[in-house]
Amino acid sequence: MAAQTTVEAGPPDAEREARLEQFMRERANDPRAYYAQLRARCPVDFDEHRDGPAALSRADVESVLRDTDLWSNETTPIMGSAEPVIPLGVDPPQHSIYRRVLDPLFSPKRMKALEPAVTDHVNQMIDAFIDTGQCDFSADVAVPLPCLTFLTLLGLPEEELDDMVRWKDIMIRPEIVAGSREAGQQLQMQTVGEIYQRFSQELAARREQPRDDLITFLLTTDVDDGRKLSESEILRILFLLLAAGLDTVTISLECIFNYLIEHPEARQLLVDEPESMDGLIEELLRWESPVMGAAARRATRDTELSGCPIPAGTLVLPALAAANLDPDVPGSQQVDLRRKDKSHLAFGGGPHRCLGSHLARMELRVVIREWHRRIPEYRLKPGVAVEWTPSSLRGIDHLPLVWDVPAGDAR
Amino acid sequence: MKVAIDQGRCQGHGRCYELAPEVFTDDDSGYGTVIAPDVPPAYADQAQDAVNVCPERAISTAE
Ligand code: HEM
Ligand code: SF4
Repeated sequence: MAAQTTVEAGPPDAEREARLEQFMRERANDPRAYYAQLRARCPVDFDEHRDGPAALSRADVESVLRDTDLWSNETTPIMGSAEPVIPLGVDPPQHSIYRRVLDPLFSPKRMKALEPAVTDHVNQMIDAFIDTGQCDFSADVAVPLPCLTFLTLLGLPEEELDDMVRWKDIMIRPEIVAGSREAGQQLQMQTVGEIYQRFSQELAARREQPRDDLITFLLTTDVDDGRKLSESEILRILFLLLAAGLDTVTISLECIFNYLIEHPEARQLLVDEPESMDGLIEELLRWESPVMGAAARRATRDTELSGCPIPAGTLVLPALAAANLDPDVPGSQQVDLRRKDKSHLAFGGGPHRCLGSHLARMELRVVIREWHRRIPEYRLKPGVAVEWTPSSLRGIDHLPLVWDVPAGDAR
Repeated sequence: MKVAIDQGRCQGHGRCYELAPEVFTDDDSGYGTVIAPDVPPAYADQAQDAVNVCPERAISTAE
């Protein structure tokens, strides 16, 4: 989420631009040090974000996420979509109507039913490289897995994987794909059109020939007020699923696997006590906070955060990563893989709590479980330095791993 | 021990019923519900732990 950095707020200003890039680099490289430094100055950061201040403390972030009367999600277009995406760009009570339709589709029970397909995908990926003793974990697992899951969920053919990867890259970091910020915006707008068109075709096909899948459900279900969802609403839901459900899982996998190669004792714990996995995932989501910020909220009236005045209309960024590392929360400054308090905000909180959190957790669990079952010992390829992508989505584009392949061993 | 979920605060993070399946369960939308408000002593620890995993602070216990 929080891809607002791709939306230009004011006239381009080279110095500000360069400084922002420097910030983003420092933040991605070491969010712990970065946020500690900001916090030492003020509980609200007035410097970091081009669109306005960032809430840093756990208490402030919670209140911004929960008090939807005071903090509105109806802000600027998100990720190049001209109309508000659904449900992220909509406030209650309309928001609750959409969530009542969508929540059951992403419930833990539904996700359990999807787990065998995801497990197969992971194992097919591992089959493709296990005997070579190496892979690029990012390109070979972390990127394709959530894309394949998405195709399965929507009932689209797996051949569309390459399109999917290209689309989500352009949505999330257009400037990198296109080479410059300006060209990126152009490309993003064009691609949004392409995506809406592709989904629109799919809707037409399902109207002709209904299937037992998510798209057909959205076409046929009754909304609270007894009507059906319009074509535009469905497209804006599907678009958000694409924008919110792919890179988030990719970068979470990259963060977790990078932690595991840097901390052999954590990897060993997973191998020796597979039941430690759920706790490890939660703690590393807290510690790494791959999605560092929620979408900006707009103050609907004059207010304050930690005593700092916030005028009506201000866009405030809820810095989830900072809230998860708030020193006022006991023990938050260390990793504790057996931590009992798992109330972190890596999936946000309040009414916009990640719709896909149960899907995401299932995908993370399946990858970690299957990988360690088949490749318990692995390391970073010698001579490679890990490079964090400087974005509010904190990932690693290349994570080359190597492992020993015993001769004649079939796994 | 008694346990309750404030449905006005619960946002369906699903932490409670995952951690304490004897005390909580999920409804069709993935939101938490209490199985029986009176928690047997054997599950009192589970219920207490659940208070700490709910990001919305929606769970409360009482003697
Ligand atoms: C580990 C992976 C993921 C992380 C860390 C993550 C994180 C988040 C966060 C922090 C929010 C709140 C944004 C805000 O309040 O501004 C959010 C919302 C959302 N996420 Fe996720 N997400 C992940 C995976 C997914 C997946 C797989 C899906 C696909 C279904 C998804 C779909 C959504 C949607 C639709 C929303 C908007 C919910 C609303 O506005 O009511 N996410 N996510
Ligand atoms: S952990 Fe809290 S928010 Fe999540 S389902 Fe349980 S009560 Fe609801």
